[in-house]
Amino acid sequence: MRLARAGRWAWLTAFFIAAAQAQPAAERLAPCAACHGAAGVSAVPGTPSLAAQPALFVENQLVLIREGVREVNPAMAAALKGIRDAEIRALAKHYAALAPPRPAEPPDAQTAKRAKTIVRKAHCASCHLPDFAGREQIPRLAGQREEYLLEAMRAYRDNRRSGGDTLMAAALYGIADADLQLLARYLARLP
Amino acid sequence: MKRTLLAAALLAALPVFAQQKPPPAWHQGKPPALADSKLAPLPGRMTETPADEIPVGKLKLPKGFKAEMWASGMPGARAMARGDDGKIYIGTRAIGRVYEVTDEGAKRTHRVVVDKLTQPSGVAMHGGSLYVFAIDKVLRFDGIEKNAAVAPVDMTAAFDLPPEQHHNWKFVAFGPDGKLYVPFGAPCNICEPPKEYAQLRRYNADGSGMEVVARGIRNTQGFAWHPKTGELWFTDHGRDWMGDNGPEDELNRMTKVGLNFGYPYCHAKGVQDVDFKKADACKGVTLPVATMGPHAAVMGILFYTGDMFPKEYRNTMFVARKGSWNRTVKFGFDVVNVRPSKDGKKVSVKPFMTGFLEDAKAGKFWGRPTYFLQMPDGAVLVTDEQMGAIYRISYSGKK
Repeated sequence: MRLARAGRWAWLTAFFIAAAQAQPAAERLAPCAACHGAAGVSAVPGTPSLAAQPALFVENQLVLIREGVREVNPAMAAALKGIRDAEIRALAKHYAALAPPRPAEPPDAQTAKRAKTIVRKAHCASCHLPDFAGREQIPRLAGQREEYLLEAMRAYRDNRRSGGDTLMAAALYGIADADLQLLARYLARLP
Repeated sequence: MKRTLLAAALLAALPVFAQQKPPPAWHQGKPPALADSKLAPLPGRMTETPADEIPVGKLKLPKGFKAEMWASGMPGARAMARGDDGKIYIGTRAIGRVYEVTDEGAKRTHRVVVDKLTQPSGVAMHGGSLYVFAIDKVLRFDGIEKNAAVAPVDMTAAFDLPPEQHHNWKFVAFGPDGKLYVPFGAPCNICEPPKEYAQLRRYNADGSGMEVVARGIRNTQGFAWHPKTGELWFTDHGRDWMGDNGPEDELNRMTKVGLNFGYPYCHAKGVQDVDFKKADACKGVTLPVATMGPHAAVMGILFYTGDMFPKEYRNTMFVARKGSWNRTVKFGFDVVNVRPSKDGKKVSVKPFMTGFLEDAKAGKFWGRPTYFLQMPDGAVLVTDEQMGAIYRISYSGKK
């Protein structure tokens, strides 16, 4: 009887550990939600939306921030201090499964037309895909916050992005600020 | 008059100055025919892969050879360097760490020696010191095997590293001449690079006495010296966006100092570049001994000198091909055995370790072999950058 109870207790513990690894704990998600939004859609300027980002992209960025390779604001770095790989994978899976941000309005025709020319010239869709949903280690750009996109692209172009892919910096090499603004405006308004 | 001359000189100097920054690496050289291509670099993994999730059993080797899990849990593991006391140091790229592995007989443990570096892929041991080469930093850890907490000596200034990052993560090694060999890749896919790039240099161990030993090298990520001839053999990655079938990666032999290996005008065994054309593009260029396959991503080279493997492997090369991304049907993802002829002018290339690539058309693979280390017992360690693991290859068949 006692043995059976001990066995059940062990089984339950194992179940909860497994569940905890598959899904991030509520207390782990709460601080994320404070800035990135409960549904992974950020309402905070300068803070990216994470909803529907490819899991591997989120995973990689969380590792780079934890390791101090990608430098971000101190609050974000502090939130990830000592986080284990299993928790990172669970967080990544969680955000990848959320519905993508829904922009309030599509890009206007003129913005779309001009942006598409730049996209074609810079071959953005080669990696980020034609619908800008991203894939694997490559982020989703569609519906991302406009000012975040602009700052991210500027940082890459100006060699300020720590821990960034050297290919991405090269892809934005020499692109004028006005063009980056146009791209950000366009991408932020894509569904 | 003087002022006019000065102004003219300044004006003339301007375009040169503007050219000092290399052109963009990524889309440069992508022809209109490939404008809609969705080929992209393959994703690496930056979290730990548990040993039981790594399918070592899928690896195939010639009869009598065996591959087994030796160490794991080190995301991004690339080149290895072994100290006199048996500790092994391992470089990485994106994750920014250098690992130290301690062999405890029945198992291996590891720790992070240094982190937060920008792609510290170059590691070398020399006189009891560990040399770590990141893209923008050189650190030396003296006596690290005995003193785990030793503070590094910053050697960066002595090596005068140029600023561009692309293709400037490094493989480094000390040669039989006691010099430290350091490559400086072309900071682009295809470009006429500034004079500090697309070359191999050697230095004294303290960073003094810099000498450019070879030019026209796009991106070498592996080299080794022939045990008998002392000649340097090195791998070089061919350019992207010239189609699925070329130009092929190279295996080169450096017979003397000062050779030009062709980049950016002449690729593989005499393929002229499509973006940077010039008359007699391959004139005066040392062509590779062998081409190693299109977009194969040739990495480390090991000349085998151990006693464990059959005699036919003695003084032959193992070459890792990490695998292609800029190709619709994937290629590589294996280790080949390369046997040079006596005069070193020809080689035979045979598959040695395969099984990482599961579906070339679908681009499905699980591992990417990168570098080797020969152990004192003659076994060979291979790093898998994708799985963050090290496999041990041993031989127990007939000799």
